[in-house]
Amino acid sequence: MALDNQQPAAEPNPPGNVPADRPAGTPLLLVERRKSPRIKEAPPATPPPPQLEDYQPLIGKPELDELLYLAQSLRGKAIKMVNSTSVGGGVAEMLQRVVPLLQELEVTAHWDVLNGDTEFFEVTKAFHNALQGGAYHLTRTAREIFLRYDEQNRSRMSFDEDVIVLHDPQPLALIQSRKPNHQRWVWRCHIDLSNPNPELWDFLRPFVERHDAAIFSSQAFAQRLSIPQYLFYPFIDPLSDKNRQLDPAYLQRVCDEFGIDRSRPIVTQVSRFDRWKDPVGVIQAYRLAKRYVDCQLVLAGGSATDDPQGAAMLAEVKAAAADDSDIFVLDLPPSSALEINALQTISTIVIQKSLKEGFGLTVSEALWKGKPVIASAVGGIPNQVIHKITGMLVHSVEGCAYQIRFLLTHPGLAEHLGKNGREHVKENFLITASLKRWLLLCQILLGVARQ
Amino acid sequence: MMAEAQSHSPVRGARTPFYFNSAEHLLRIEPQRAATLAELLEAIQSCRAESIFQHTFRTLQEHHFIQEGYSNDFAHWAFFACNENGLAERLSSVDVREFTSIETLRHCFAEIIDDYLASSPVVRDRRALEPFYFCASDTVVVPTTFVARNMKEFAEALERISVHSVHYHFIEARLRLSLRSNDFSVWLEQMGLKRTAQLLNQIDIYTSTLQGVRNRIVRIVETALA
Repeated sequence: MALDNQQPAAEPNPPGNVPADRPAGTPLLLVERRKSPRIKEAPPATPPPPQLEDYQPLIGKPELDELLYLAQSLRGKAIKMVNSTSVGGGVAEMLQRVVPLLQELEVTAHWDVLNGDTEFFEVTKAFHNALQGGAYHLTRTAREIFLRYDEQNRSRMSFDEDVIVLHDPQPLALIQSRKPNHQRWVWRCHIDLSNPNPELWDFLRPFVERHDAAIFSSQAFAQRLSIPQYLFYPFIDPLSDKNRQLDPAYLQRVCDEFGIDRSRPIVTQVSRFDRWKDPVGVIQAYRLAKRYVDCQLVLAGGSATDDPQGAAMLAEVKAAAADDSDIFVLDLPPSSALEINALQTISTIVIQKSLKEGFGLTVSEALWKGKPVIASAVGGIPNQVIHKITGMLVHSVEGCAYQIRFLLTHPGLAEHLGKNGREHVKENFLITASLKRWLLLCQILLGVARQ
Repeated sequence: MMAEAQSHSPVRGARTPFYFNSAEHLLRIEPQRAATLAELLEAIQSCRAESIFQHTFRTLQEHHFIQEGYSNDFAHWAFFACNENGLAERLSSVDVREFTSIETLRHCFAEIIDDYLASSPVVRDRRALEPFYFCASDTVVVPTTFVARNMKEFAEALERISVHSVHYHFIEARLRLSLRSNDFSVWLEQMGLKRTAQLLNQIDIYTSTLQGVRNRIVRIVETALA
């Protein structure tokens, strides 16, 4: 059994492990306690953006060779990605990594971003929510704003590439620029389209069906369409701050800073403080489990300062944690990738007890770190957690509590799940797997694949 | 085996070199979905051949690191989403290597489910915990840099190719060849190593990871070289 917290700590926990100003028995709600995080003073240096060869030690030479081969037949071809923003959000983050790697493979890759102002993005934000099942009435004004801005963008952009990929609903009407030639157009839908608002879907569907293919993140998110639909899982970058291997000394510093005891089991959920992530349910499961096994609980989430609902949820979580000094409620700023990485790495078990989920990439992050994961069978999680093989799927607080007890008392099985989980991520959810899917798709659509 | 191995020179040239390939697959989401076992049966009977391939041959490759659990997606779903352990065991006992065509494999799965539903009609329309989503594979063949012109090069390459390449030549190959054999064994037979070829075909692919299968192939080939 090689789980981190069960190994002796690199150094004995110093008396200063618990902040000196903390009276005995008071809760360790670090959201309130940390004024100036010491670990911020000297974080590990951020390495330069990884290049393809940097992934070879992780995926192996044959895998890298396959990427190079697949890219060869696309030399001279060009691909354009279009989305609605260049910074912030998962799609922009994904394109910031994929586009340079495609270019490194000598596939010409362009990335264009829609121009629009508040009225356009208000409409598309409403579209986004409605496509995920929210109530919505499509007004004539909203329809006109959507089409007008896409028309403006069409007149500004050129579409000379061989493959054009439109991301999410915002740029959908750009498909009207499609020329009757060999060009291929693809719609990449990153959102859960399993239950779209019917009125809005009736409006958008004709745009979607003018593409050559659509891509979804989960089988469950797809719609019946007249065009081929492909499954592209979201990915994690194993060399990013959130996932790269950290120095043991840094891990210990993070534990010391937060007062986490590495000699005892650590159960962690990393999620923003949001009702759908069920942090209170996680506390309930921890309490049920703790009747039988010793453990600490870490709930690490995003900042809630600008989100009234998030702030209310955080208050609820703090109330539920009450005076339990083994519960660590950590409200971390968005720039905490290294700390999140460290918290996942030092965990004995990682939980994702969501009530509703998109794909849930925090699960892949934990699996990549070889952690046994207990997660709800919602959204894209069952794609990542195969029950009893790469983790444990649960459907209730009680089920979650039982699996915490079970895995803490069966460390061999926990380690085995973690190993399987890491392999599963390596095969399916790494950036290199995503890159391969893009190359395969372009080959197939352009008719240059050897089949 | 020993007599065969001792008579074989590791550097004797092959009539035809062995070119190692691999295959990559792009997953397509198909229109069929099943929420009950009756719907699963209907979809298995009507889906594209590429879907049967995906949920049997291809899932072995996708989950090559697993040595426990059910060996195909239909069996896994019958167990996990329908809680029908008996059906899951029967579906899991189907060895894809006994099939040289997808249509006979499709027929076999359909027959097992049909029999089970006939004997347990009460489970026919019971809703599963989650639907079965049919997918299919678009396959692209990828050549590798490995070529074997003799047994020594063959053994060396076997250790260095990806597990996807092992899957392509050792498991998927029978659909291409329409033979209950594999590319490695066919080549070994051409080299006059009939017994070694047979031993490869006896490897149990369901009780080991694909890496474990590769290790066994390498051991058998190295024994033949010794």
